[in-house]
Amino acid sequence: MQPSTTPSTADPSLPRSVDQPLPAALAGIRVLELAGPAGQYCGKMFADLGADVILIEPPGGAHTRRERPFLRDQIHRETGLPFTYFNTGKRSVVLNLSAPEGRMIFRKLAEHSSLIIDTEKPGMMAPLGLDFGSLSADSPGLIMTSITPFGQTGPYAQWECDDIVALALGGLLSLGGYPETEPMAPYGNQAYLAAGQFAAVASLIALLGNEQAGNNAYPRHIDVSIQECVVLALENAVQFYDLEHTIRKREAGRQKLAGMGIFPCADGHVYLMAGGIASSNFWANTVQWLEDERVPGADQLKRVCWDDQDFLATEEAKGQFQKLFGPFALSRTKSYLYEAGQSRRIPICPVNSPKDLVHNRQLQHRNYFTAITHSSGEILTGPGAPYRLAATPWRLAGPSPTLGQHTAEILGELGFDRESQTAFFACGAVG
Amino acid sequence: MKALPLKGIRIADFTWIGAGSFTTKLFADFGADVINIESATRPDALRGSRPYRDGVPGVNRSGYFADRNTSKRSIALNLKSERGRILAKRLISVSDIVANNFSPGTMEKFGLGYEAVREFKSDIIYIAMSMQGASGPEHRYLGFGLTIGALTGLQFLSGAVDREPAGTGTNYPDHVPNPCHAAFAILAALRHRRKTGEGQFIDLAQTEPMISLLGPAIMQFTANGVTPERSGNLRLPKVPCGVYPCAGEDQWIAISAWTEPSWKALARVIGKSEWMGSEFSRLDQRIARRQSIDADLGEVTRGWSAEELMSVLQRNGVAAGVVRTAADVIERDPQLRARGHWIYLDHPEMGRSLYNAPPFRISGLADVPSTPAPLLGQHTYDVCRDLLGLSEGEIGALQSEGVLT
Repeated sequence: MQPSTTPSTADPSLPRSVDQPLPAALAGIRVLELAGPAGQYCGKMFADLGADVILIEPPGGAHTRRERPFLRDQIHRETGLPFTYFNTGKRSVVLNLSAPEGRMIFRKLAEHSSLIIDTEKPGMMAPLGLDFGSLSADSPGLIMTSITPFGQTGPYAQWECDDIVALALGGLLSLGGYPETEPMAPYGNQAYLAAGQFAAVASLIALLGNEQAGNNAYPRHIDVSIQECVVLALENAVQFYDLEHTIRKREAGRQKLAGMGIFPCADGHVYLMAGGIASSNFWANTVQWLEDERVPGADQLKRVCWDDQDFLATEEAKGQFQKLFGPFALSRTKSYLYEAGQSRRIPICPVNSPKDLVHNRQLQHRNYFTAITHSSGEILTGPGAPYRLAATPWRLAGPSPTLGQHTAEILGELGFDRESQTAFFACGAVG
Repeated sequence: MKALPLKGIRIADFTWIGAGSFTTKLFADFGADVINIESATRPDALRGSRPYRDGVPGVNRSGYFADRNTSKRSIALNLKSERGRILAKRLISVSDIVANNFSPGTMEKFGLGYEAVREFKSDIIYIAMSMQGASGPEHRYLGFGLTIGALTGLQFLSGAVDREPAGTGTNYPDHVPNPCHAAFAILAALRHRRKTGEGQFIDLAQTEPMISLLGPAIMQFTANGVTPERSGNLRLPKVPCGVYPCAGEDQWIAISAWTEPSWKALARVIGKSEWMGSEFSRLDQRIARRQSIDADLGEVTRGWSAEELMSVLQRNGVAAGVVRTAADVIERDPQLRARGHWIYLDHPEMGRSLYNAPPFRISGLADVPSTPAPLLGQHTYDVCRDLLGLSEGEIGALQSEGVLT
């Protein structure tokens, strides 16, 4: 295969990299991503640090192209905003894996790749001869990362799943929502995204190990369970059960402890963490603030009982705190409370909407939001670098691909002449 | 083949509390020598956070701290003393990576900021994970995972439309987005250093990975001018998809049966023959009747045991899962048990206690973690002797002066 032809032109919104192109940390790594909702963020993490990520799509396009919302609500496989966002810088190849030629092309691509990201049900790839055992026979350093709802083994391995089902069986749903309502899931496929992130870390750990081992590299199969990724988000809830035999429950809308929770204010909500953090001055600073703002009765919060975490957990304490802080917050804006509280070294912050974020002065200072080119050429705005690597910056290598945009290009790189390419298209093995 | 892939890498680990500690744990579990530099006078706030073994507080008794700090070594060093800072520099000079999640300026105050470290260790990989980044009008502001959840939009977007924002009920960014992004960035920097010999500074603002995961919501606003609202468990066009009550106290099941075959299977299993009719056969018809479908489904599920309904739906190809509690995932989930997700390690003070395995298995590697969280200062002596070359006498003197604990 020829050297990568991934467009490496830097994002024009990052002037530094135009003036002085800096290297990419993951240059030279080729990734095959079998399109799926749990794998796309993993592929994006690799692509945005310089890997050549080839998105393998079925004829008709990946399901991820159908996810809402769509650009200007026009439902089309090229206008999905989640697809546009999560597939930046990737190249798209349409392969029909039920055709022998499609499988042959996949195997050839695998021989020239360091990493395969697969999100098929366990056992689906074996009849095609595209499972880890078959592929690694020809590629001694191959890493195949399989992201599945429950992992490759175990009694649930073949079960059906969806993001919300993984959130349920992984336990996070039991902590989300209000005591009076059904458990509520966090916005935006967070189970799939969690799996994508852990998969990226695991894959890069294994890749580094193999690059270091050189000729002694071993093929590795990485078995990621979406359910287990969700379990990792349970914070201290499993330890609470193991060590103190208590079961944490959902508690939205209430203070976790007195002085820790969400409070309505004049134009939205703020989150305050005055109580509950060991060895901090947050409580004392908050009481001083309320006294300086002449909140009647604020001095009650100075009594020694407020030093006791067990007291802070009582309804009595929460009620007393609410009576003092609630009306105070309600008469002020979130930005006032944020700035006044933070200037007194109190962890308080606004509950920001997407609109608030786009106008946030700190994110603007950091040039966080970036131009994301849609495949039509239209320039959109979206989240930019989640980390700033000074020597090897994060950057978008290009727009998300149109369906099959790079099929011919990649067939050419694999050495297929025009005639055989035409034959592959004609028989429907590629698209 | 069994050697852990990060063996030979050393991290001078100044992280504490949530996101930072879990970042370096990912390295420790896979073979890196992670030395957590702690303070005996101001211990990690997680060491002082519940839950404790048997409910009894103590710096070596927190399960929250333990689960986030497996496979690490701990030295207790007073960075407020000149000699403490000299030892920290010596430790950094034999390390590959420096990690911290303090507010900007804290490491600089100790003379351990990136510029200072680069003077004596030019190829260092240095990650600073402050809340909002190294500079800017709000870079000094304070926060934790819960406030980060609020700052980033996660809380605003999650919950019921007519209620206050709910979020996840946890410090979510601390547990997945920030540690995973930080670890990925460090690994990428390690690869670059192996190829070029060049180290680098990594600035990770703990708000930014979470916002990156909310890209579609941001673009719904920037591209379509629409501020997405909270919508509970509604995930259009998926109908039905939600969480429904089951028999018993606070028992729930998540069901996603919006595809053609799963919708039909659901109707069959729960005996809803009217759902087989033509007025429900297309997805857009079901979307239009969403509220009545949800209400009817909830009426039926109320009569079922959650476990039984899950089993029968799954046998018929419908995605369904019981809303498991923390007790359930430990004791009543056969899948997690079969996967070996739960690991019991023998901690010197907490005894045999529960830890998470990483949520993935890498073939050919031994199960990790195998070593519990360290006691505060458990490895002070070993690290000073073996790594920093101090004699027994020197270590003793530094201990009596309060530089080491």
